[in-house]
Amino acid sequence: MKYQQELKDSIRKALPGLDVVIAWSAGYDPLHATPHFIRREEDIDRLEIGPFSVHNLATYLPGLRGKKVGIVVKGCDSRSVIELLQENLINREDVTIFGFPCTGVVDQTKIRKALGHTGKVDFCQIASQTVVIGAGGEEHKLRLSKVLADKCFSCQYPNALISDHFVGEKISPSAQTEGGDDLEAFENMPLPERFAFWQKEMDRCIRCYACRNACPMCVCRDHCLAESRDPHWLSQEDSVRDKWMFQLIHAYHLAGRCTECGECQRACPMDIPLLLLKKKMNKEIKELFQYEAGVDPEATPPLLSFKMEEENIKEREW
Amino acid sequence: MPVLKGKELRIVGFLCNWCSYGGADTAGVGRFNQPTDLRIIRVPCSGRIDPLFIMKTLMNGADGVLVSGCHPRDCHYAEGNFYARRRLEVLHRFLPILGFEPGRFEYTWVSASEGQRWQQVVTRFTEQIHKLGPAPKIAGPEASATLRQMEAVL
Amino acid sequence: MKIGVFVCHCGSNIEGTVDTAAVAAAAREFPGVAFATDTMYTCSEPGQEEIVNAIKEHQLDGVVVASCTPRMHEQTFRRTVERAGLNRYLFEMANIREHVSWIGKDREANTNKATDLVRMAASKLLHNRPLLSKQFDINKRVLIIGGGVAGIQAALDCAEGGLEVVLVEKTTTIGGKMAKLDKTFPTVDCSCCILGPRMVDVAQHPNITLYAYSEIEEVSGYVGNFDVKVKKKATYVDWDKCTGCGICMTKCPSKKATDYFNEGIGKTTAINIPFPQAIPKKAKIDADFCMKLQKGKCGICAKVCPSGCIDFTQQDEFVTEKVGAIVAATGFDLFDWTVYGEYGGGRYPDVITSLQYERMLSASGPTGGHIKRPSDGKEPKNVVFIQCVGSRDKSVGRPYCTGFCCMYTAKQAILTKDHLPESQTYVFYMDIRATGKNYDEFTRRAMEEYNAKYIRGRVSMIYPKGDSLLVRGADTLMGTQVEVDADLVVLAVGAEAAAGAAGLAEKLRISYDSYGFYMEGHPKLKPVETNTAGVYLAGSCQGPKDIPSSVAQGSAAASKVLGLFSKDKLASDPQVSVVDIKRCIGCGKCMKTCPFGAIKEIDFRGMKKAEVIETVCQGCGICTSTCPQGAAQLQHFTDNQILSEVNALCQF
Repeated sequence: MKYQQELKDSIRKALPGLDVVIAWSAGYDPLHATPHFIRREEDIDRLEIGPFSVHNLATYLPGLRGKKVGIVVKGCDSRSVIELLQENLINREDVTIFGFPCTGVVDQTKIRKALGHTGKVDFCQIASQTVVIGAGGEEHKLRLSKVLADKCFSCQYPNALISDHFVGEKISPSAQTEGGDDLEAFENMPLPERFAFWQKEMDRCIRCYACRNACPMCVCRDHCLAESRDPHWLSQEDSVRDKWMFQLIHAYHLAGRCTECGECQRACPMDIPLLLLKKKMNKEIKELFQYEAGVDPEATPPLLSFKMEEENIKEREW
Repeated sequence: MPVLKGKELRIVGFLCNWCSYGGADTAGVGRFNQPTDLRIIRVPCSGRIDPLFIMKTLMNGADGVLVSGCHPRDCHYAEGNFYARRRLEVLHRFLPILGFEPGRFEYTWVSASEGQRWQQVVTRFTEQIHKLGPAPKIAGPEASATLRQMEAVL
Repeated sequence: MKIGVFVCHCGSNIEGTVDTAAVAAAAREFPGVAFATDTMYTCSEPGQEEIVNAIKEHQLDGVVVASCTPRMHEQTFRRTVERAGLNRYLFEMANIREHVSWIGKDREANTNKATDLVRMAASKLLHNRPLLSKQFDINKRVLIIGGGVAGIQAALDCAEGGLEVVLVEKTTTIGGKMAKLDKTFPTVDCSCCILGPRMVDVAQHPNITLYAYSEIEEVSGYVGNFDVKVKKKATYVDWDKCTGCGICMTKCPSKKATDYFNEGIGKTTAINIPFPQAIPKKAKIDADFCMKLQKGKCGICAKVCPSGCIDFTQQDEFVTEKVGAIVAATGFDLFDWTVYGEYGGGRYPDVITSLQYERMLSASGPTGGHIKRPSDGKEPKNVVFIQCVGSRDKSVGRPYCTGFCCMYTAKQAILTKDHLPESQTYVFYMDIRATGKNYDEFTRRAMEEYNAKYIRGRVSMIYPKGDSLLVRGADTLMGTQVEVDADLVVLAVGAEAAAGAAGLAEKLRISYDSYGFYMEGHPKLKPVETNTAGVYLAGSCQGPKDIPSSVAQGSAAASKVLGLFSKDKLASDPQVSVVDIKRCIGCGKCMKTCPFGAIKEIDFRGMKKAEVIETVCQGCGICTSTCPQGAAQLQHFTDNQILSEVNALCQF
C-alpha cells in the first residue's frame, strides 16, 4: 500500500498524545490481517494496510471510552465512527482519526471458495488487478475483482468521511450506485420464497453471536436482549424461530443506524447473508427518511426523532 | 386457548390506553358488533409499542397484528404516536423483506370517541386476515413452554 | 404467586353471551391460579367482599377480575384488593364486557375469547410487582381558559374558595356569547344585567388575575405543576394607563372596522371598546384598519388620549404562569351558514343569523334596540325564523342537535312581537326540543300568546321578490307546500367547536371528538374531568350547552379543582419508568426521546447512566421501547409483562 509509510509517520507524530492507536498488522497467514494495537513507537513498524484490512476497528471504540485513542479507518469504517459520535457513544476529543483512500478489501469467503481448500497458505502477492496465492505447492492466480467484498463494488465512500489526518489522495467513488447483484436477485424473490430463504439461512445460525460482537453499532455488549431473562425476549433453544428473532432484533436495533460495514456477515462462521438483510432494510430507511447513517455527525438517527408531518409516510386509510 | 378451528384466526391488537382502547370501549358501549378474533393488549401509549413485540407476535404464529393509537397531534403524551408512526412504518416495510405478507400487520389511529370507526377497522382487518388465511408457522419452542419457563422463575 | 380469578356476570350484560362459569373453570387450570369463581356483580358491595374474603381465605397474593373495561372499575378493584392487604398493583382486569359480550352474540366464541383474555391477565399478573406512589408538592393556582359565562363562574367559585385564579380570554373582554345576548330564555331576563355584575366581580376579585386579549401559547408540566406560557397580544394601547374613557373612539377617523362584538351588524372604529360593560374596559386598535399602523399617517387617538396610553410600537408579550390545575372553558362558535345555497349563501342582506338578530334587539346594539332590515333600514312586518341551520344535518357534517336553538327562537319570536306589535312571525322547525325547566311552557307561550306561526318542515328556497324575500318550504303536517313573504329571515344557526379548539386540546393533551368538542372523562360519571389529570372542562367546549348548564359546569369544574387542592401533596402514579443501572450503558437515547425531560444523566462510579425523575415521568413508555438493551422499563407495562401476554395468546 503506497501510503503506508506516510501513515506510519503520521501516527508516529501523534502517538505521544495517545494511549493507543488501532490499526492492522499481518495475521497468522499471508491472507489475513489482524487488528493491531499500537502503544509504543516500535509497534508502528508492524502496521500494514491493504486489501486484507477488513476489520472495522470502530467496533473497539466504545469499549475504550475515556482513553485517548487513535484509529485508522477506511471510508466505510469512518461512517461507523460518525454514527458512534452522533449517538454520543464516544467523545470526539478523545478520538484521533487517521484516514486513507481505500481501494477495496477482500472477501475471505470468496478466496476460500476459489482456492477450494483451507490448507497452509505460503504467500500472497497482489499486483494491480491480480492476486497470486501460493498454497500447497500450487500457485493460484485470481482476478482481484473476483475476490473483493461485494460492498466494495458499490462503495460510495472510499475516503474517510471524517479524519484528523488523511494520507494520500482522495479517490472517487465506485460508479455502481445500486446495492449489487445480490440485492437485485433478492428483490425479485416472491414473498413465500423470501420466507423460506430466511428460514433456511437462519436455521444454520449457531448462536455464536460473532455478528453482534463484530458490529460496531451493537453497543449493549453484556446486556444484549439475546441472553437476558429480564427482559426475556428469547429462549436459549436452538430453534429457527429464536435464531431468526435474534437476527431481527439485531436488524431492528440497527434501523437507521447501520452503516453497512458488513462486519456481521464477515464474522459469521456460517456465511449467513446478514448484510443482505441490512442492505435491504437500509434501502427502505433511505426511501422513507432520505437518511443514510454515518454520514453527518450532527444528524439524529430517524427513529430517535420525528416530524409532525411525515413526507413519505402515507397513513393508510384504515 | 386455541383459536376456534375454522371460525377464527389469531389476531392480536396493541392499543393505546387513552384513545384506541377507549374507542374500542365506546364501540362496546354502542353495541357495535365485531368479529371475535381480535385479542387486545392494552399499553399506555403507542410509543410504548416496541415493533419487536409485533415481530415476536408474528414469529410466534399470530395470523395478524393490529396496532392503534391516538391520531397524530392528539397523543396523551404529546409525542408518543409520532415516534410510533416512524417505528411502525419501518416495521411495515421490514416485514415483506422477511417474507411476511404486508397485510398481516396494520397500524391506524382511532380516537376514544370513534366507536363506529373502531368497529369498521376491526371488521376490515379481520376480513383482510381471513382472506390471507392462517400464517405459515415457524418451528420453535412451544409458547406455552416459554411461558412456563418465564413463570417458573417467579 | 397465588392468583384469584373473579368472572363477573354483570347481571346479564356478560352472562348473556359468555359462559362465565366455564371461563372460571378454565381459569383454574392456568399457572398460578389458586382460586376462580363467577360472581353476579363483582363491583357491588357483596361482590367486593367476596374478593376480600377469598384473598384472606385462600391467601391470594394477586387478583384478576374479568368484567367491564379497566377504564371503568380498575380503581374500584385496586382499592378492594388494598382493603384486603394486597398492593393495589397486584391486580389485573380482563375486559370481557365492552370487548367481548357487548360486541358479539356467538356464545362459544365469546366464552373462548373471554377465557383468552383472562389467561392474558393472569400471565401478566405473574410479572406484576408491588408499586408504591411518592408524594409531591403542588401549586395551588388554577388557570381558566375562556371568559364566557362558564369560565367566569369557575373563576369566581375558585377565587371564593381561596384559590389564586389566572383567567385568560382571547378577546378584549370577558362575557363570551352571553354578553352579546339581549335577553335569556325562559325568563326573558336582560342578559347583560345578570351577567354584568359577575363580570365586575371578576375584575375586582383580589384572587383573580385576568389576561384579556391573550392566548395560551404553550403548556408543559403535569397535574399540580403546570407551566403555562400566555401570549398577551399587542393592543397598541397601554392597558395600565387606559381608563376606558372612550374619547379615542369618538375621534378615530377610521370608521369602517369590522364590528366583531356586534356580529358584523354595522361597522366600528379602528380603536375600539366593544361595549359599555366590557371587562376590562380598555381600548384596542384593530391593526388592519388603523391608518397609523397601515400607512403611518393619522395618530389622532394618541393626540386626544388624556392618559397618553397609545403605543403604536407595542409587541406581543409573553408571560409564564405556574398553576396546578387547568379549566378549559373555551365555548363554541357559530356554524358558517353560507354553505347553504338555498338560504342565499350570504347574498341576501336581509337573511341574518340569530346572534346578529340578538344584537339588533339589544338596546346597546348598533341599532339601539330597533329591529331594522339591514338592506333598507325599514321595520319588517313578516319575520321568518328557520331552525336547525347547521344542526341535525348530516349533509353539512353537523348531525348533532345544538340543543338551545328551539328555545332562543321562541324567545326571539316573543321579543319580535314586543318590539313590533304589528309584526307576524313564522318559525320553520323540525321538532321542538324544549326539555328544560319551564322550557316547553315558554315555547307554548310564543305560539299561543304571541301568535308565532310554527310550521313543521324545512325551507327549500329563499329568493328575492320585489324588496322582500319569498320563503318556500314544506309543511309536513299539512302535507303541503307553503310560501311566506318575509321582510326579514333569521337563521337559527347551530353551534360548532370554537375555532382553534383542536390546537388548544393538543397543547393540553386532551382528546376531542370528530367535531372538535372536548372529550369528558366519562360520558355519565365524569362530565367535567378529562383523561388528563388536572385538566377540567366547563361549558360548551365539551358540547353545546345553554346558560344554566354552562354555569353548572363552571361550578362543577371549580369544585373538582378545589377538591384536588384540598390536599397539600398529591400522590404520584407509580406506573413510571425505572432504569436498571446495571444494564444501562449511558447512550442517552431515552433522554433524547422522552417528551417530558423526565430522564437525567447521572454519574455512577465514573460511568454515564440514565435516571428517571419519578414525579416528572408520565408513564408513556417511549423510553422503554427506545432502550435497545431493555434497561429502562415502564413499571406495570414492562417488556416481560407484555411479552407474557403475547406468549399467553400465541400458543400453537
